[in-house]
Amino acid sequence: MPVIEIKELTKTYNETVVPVHALNGVNLSFEKGEFTAIVGPSGCGKTTLLNMMGGLDHPSSGQVIIAQEDITKMDTSHLVDFRLRNIGFIFQSYNLIPVLTVRENIQFIMELQGRSKKEIDERVHYLLDAMGLSDKINVRPKYLSGGQQQRVAVARAMASKPKFILADEPTANLDSKSTETLLNLMANLNEKEEVTFIFSTHDQRVMDKAKRIVTLEDGKVMNDSNSGVLHETA
Amino acid sequence: MLIQIAWRNVWRNKTRSMVIVVAVALGLWGGIFSDAFMQGMTEQQIYSSIHTETGHIQLSQKGFLVNHDMQLNIRSADSIKAVISNIPGVSAVASVTQLSSMASTSSGSAGIMINGIDPQQQSKVSDINRQLVTGDYFKSDRANLIVIGQQLADKLHVKLHSRIVLTLQTTAGDIVYGAFKIAGIFHTHDSDFDKQMVFVRKNDLHALTGFPQDAASLVTVLLQNTDDTKKITATIQHKFPGLQVQGWMQLSPMLQVLSGTITQMTIIFVAIILIALAFGIVNTMLMAVLDRTHEIGMLLSIGMRPSKVFTMIMLETIFLSVTGAALGIAISIGTVSWFGHTGINLSFIAEGINALGYSSIVYPSLGIDFYLALSVMVVVIALIAGLFPARHAIRLKPAEALRGN
Ligand SMILES: Nc1ncnc2c1ncn2[C@@H]1O[C@H](COP(=O)(O)OP(=O)(O)O)[C@@H](O)[C@H]1O
Ligand SMILES: [Mg+2]
Repeated sequence: MPVIEIKELTKTYNETVVPVHALNGVNLSFEKGEFTAIVGPSGCGKTTLLNMMGGLDHPSSGQVIIAQEDITKMDTSHLVDFRLRNIGFIFQSYNLIPVLTVRENIQFIMELQGRSKKEIDERVHYLLDAMGLSDKINVRPKYLSGGQQQRVAVARAMASKPKFILADEPTANLDSKSTETLLNLMANLNEKEEVTFIFSTHDQRVMDKAKRIVTLEDGKVMNDSNSGVLHETA
Repeated sequence: MLIQIAWRNVWRNKTRSMVIVVAVALGLWGGIFSDAFMQGMTEQQIYSSIHTETGHIQLSQKGFLVNHDMQLNIRSADSIKAVISNIPGVSAVASVTQLSSMASTSSGSAGIMINGIDPQQQSKVSDINRQLVTGDYFKSDRANLIVIGQQLADKLHVKLHSRIVLTLQTTAGDIVYGAFKIAGIFHTHDSDFDKQMVFVRKNDLHALTGFPQDAASLVTVLLQNTDDTKKITATIQHKFPGLQVQGWMQLSPMLQVLSGTITQMTIIFVAIILIALAFGIVNTMLMAVLDRTHEIGMLLSIGMRPSKVFTMIMLETIFLSVTGAALGIAISIGTVSWFGHTGINLSFIAEGINALGYSSIVYPSLGIDFYLALSVMVVVIALIAGLFPARHAIRLKPAEALRGN
């Protein structure tokens, strides 16, 4: 059973005089343990698609089904709790909480979830170890390099034990060395723990690491390297 | 953790936060200090009015204070005094024979109020003897000495040792004249008092007018503690139901109004300052929220409930305001108690001040309840000021807030 299923998704932005059709009937399905890149030129709708999948914005039509629930039908307050319990986020500009240390940044989301102190402590150490950041535990984000900050962001996204992790251009601000380190860590987590990653990119080296590549163009799926899955759900 | 985040957020932009902290501190300091000053002036006025003029409590025959009819006097004043001085909390008791009269000299005349006193007794309830500018307070045993106020001396063009003639009515209704020699001239904070009140020995006055020996117009009571006034007034009234017994609040209604309203007035004054400061706080917090649009978008995205974001902004507003208020209150307590100790000398404008019945050295003072009320007000103002920025924060849509990078 897919962790997330998208049916006939459209999104039209009406903010300007001319409506922008950012998504035009997207059908996709993602299974547990995927390591998938959403690719395509700038403005093709990657961010819009990820926002819909993450319940950060409401589509114009269509469905986004996660754990048998159509999240497009949820109201804002239910969506917040749903995101907290089910979805991990990694952002292009890291977006850590600047006034909190590395440890506290990871702790924070688990406290929002109401996890026990013991569980939180164990998981913080486990994740920072996995990310190779154990020595930065009490450091604030501004003293870390971009690559290190993004590794903390991955740890934070994992901390809440989400069903899948969405990452919108996670490496766009990183140099090639940090990009490689980050992707290797993510790929490793994906291999060992079956963490599902869905990320957007227009960087060829990042695409090369993906197990599956979905290509968007003008708000439509142009190509899906895993078209078998596409057929199943279409 | 929310509290921790909020506190640290306050100090993210140190300059911006310090500007508002200092503004709140200075605003409150100014407000508190001038309130303490007003309060100090009032307390002083009450103090000197009690200690120079009325005492804490006065007994009189009903109606006497209205028309000063000399027939409305208190008989057996001495035994009444004896009873009162045995009441716990009473510091001193004195009786006064009060007659209205006319004082004349070769160069003028004036309506006055004669106070026939026993100097030794009287100096225990009133500090007139310590407010002499020249002469002394009945040191000599000579008969027919008089102590008058500076204002009256000026008006009648008399000096120390000058003679003035008092025109009086005897108990039988005849007019008599008495020549008195000025033994001392006093100058109090109250120019009306200095213009009207003169003091002579009770024996001289009684001899002249035939006023009964053991009678008095007023019995003045000084207490050890001003706060006991109401209680002891009731006790005395209970013992002497036929007499009129009044505390200083009834004797000087103006003072009571002052002391009753001064606290409310000062609170209102500071409240106005706080409301002005609230606009600065709203502005600072709104800037803080706008600066952090992206971050708040992230918080909402990863699953922080809007109610928590709202609480966070409210806490930040409270921390910011309370920090400023704490600083302002600390400075205020320091300066108020410093000047409360040394006093502020206003003698350079003392003439005008004295005419209003104030003394020229003011000791600022404020009660603990004022600071408590103030702390509550600061928190309330912060809560109101935080509403607008906090509401702005939770209206952000995650997708849009994140896009505006
Ligand atoms: N809030 C918005 N209002 C109006 N148009 C938007 C908005 N967000 C995105 N768009 C438009 O939608 C299209 C898809 O944008 P986006 O999803 O950001 O693409 P990508 O992430 O692939 O660059 C673009 O044409 C973009 O200009
Ligand atoms: Mg994008």
